[in-house]
Amino acid sequence: MPSYHPDIDFLTAHAAGSLPLAQGACVAAHLNYCHECRRTVSALQDVGAALFEQVAPQPVSEQVLDRVLARLDEAPPLHFANHHPAGEKTPAILQRLMSGDFADLVWKKVTRTLSISYLKTGDPGHEFALYHIRAGGRIPLHGHRGDEITLVLQGGFSDADGDYHAGDFLFRRAGEEHAPTALQSEDCICLGVLDAPLRFRGWAYRWMNPFLRLQPG
Amino acid sequence: MAPMGPHKDTGIDPGKDKASDKGSDSQHSAPRADEWSECLQAIALHADRAAYTRLFRHFAPLIKGFALAGSSLSANHADELVQEVMIKVWQKSAAYDPAKAAASTWIYTIARNCRTDLFRRLQKFDTPLAAEDVAPDGAAEEPFEQIHSRRNGQRVRDLMAGLPVDQSQILAKVYMEGKSHAETAAELDLPLGTVKSRVRLALQKLQIQMTS
Repeated sequence: MPSYHPDIDFLTAHAAGSLPLAQGACVAAHLNYCHECRRTVSALQDVGAALFEQVAPQPVSEQVLDRVLARLDEAPPLHFANHHPAGEKTPAILQRLMSGDFADLVWKKVTRTLSISYLKTGDPGHEFALYHIRAGGRIPLHGHRGDEITLVLQGGFSDADGDYHAGDFLFRRAGEEHAPTALQSEDCICLGVLDAPLRFRGWAYRWMNPFLRLQPG
Repeated sequence: MAPMGPHKDTGIDPGKDKASDKGSDSQHSAPRADEWSECLQAIALHADRAAYTRLFRHFAPLIKGFALAGSSLSANHADELVQEVMIKVWQKSAAYDPAKAAASTWIYTIARNCRTDLFRRLQKFDTPLAAEDVAPDGAAEEPFEQIHSRRNGQRVRDLMAGLPVDQSQILAKVYMEGKSHAETAAELDLPLGTVKSRVRLALQKLQIQMTS
């Protein structure tokens, strides 16, 4: 059971279908680990359904009904989204995006202990990437010009504010700084969703900033 | 037992239709079965076109209303959405479980996902994900939850009637118009903080449990 959750605004937007795709995918991945948030989202969908029942109905012509009836014998599409049971090790949404295991991805080495793999969601405003931090490795102190969601997938890390483990969902606003360190016991894999690039603070790493362009899409 | 919401809008007496369908479904002990979940089961079990037509006449105008609520969709696109949602309802009816959710909740989640996909198609999004990959239709998967989720859904509907107008108006913007909190704030000319606190207040009154 994770200790850090998306706040109610995130869950409401998720239930209403209005989150940007990359952020929604990140919330969906958290739900894989979190029974409590799944229950909340389910209740939030009931709110949507209650509003849906009260929406002002708009007349639909008989032709639309006829067209639909004529299409009922069509074969359904081969693939409907599989309902993967929640609680699997790798969230279903990531399995959809990775087509393989973490080890099969193309990893780009950023520092001695940090590698990044970019996944394509199609969201034009957000970068969606996996971060692999070697056990005990540290990501240099950095800030953000935009918002950052981090979801721990494997292992864990800590920063000045606490310890984070699989399923924990962290949201940091523009301007907040941190220097996460992976737990000593095992490598850490996180999902990070950004709407603006990282900015390293320390002198030793600042030279990298111009190379850290956001890679959305 | 309070009547389910959907009947209120139609003015059609659901009683007669119900009686004609009952025989085939009696061994399915669906708790709180209502007319629409019985229709869905008749579709799933017998490909029942009469039940489907009844369901269509009730839900298609709601789906169209949902499509047009505060959005830029044309009437043609709204009709396209109606067709897409209603065909999915036919194709996926076997996946509907009346123990987990009211028929309207299930259809709402399909409509929400199809609308998101339609928006993304219109914006020429190139994505490997469908909205239903991100937010599956229906309700919680947990067996322990199933017994409660349907009842909770009814409680939400009952409590909704007691919300003050300013709160239900904001919920309608967020859900029916698919607006972000920031967009809602801009449109109603309110500070973002006010929108967020009204949504939270409303959800508290609806007894939605908030983690963290």
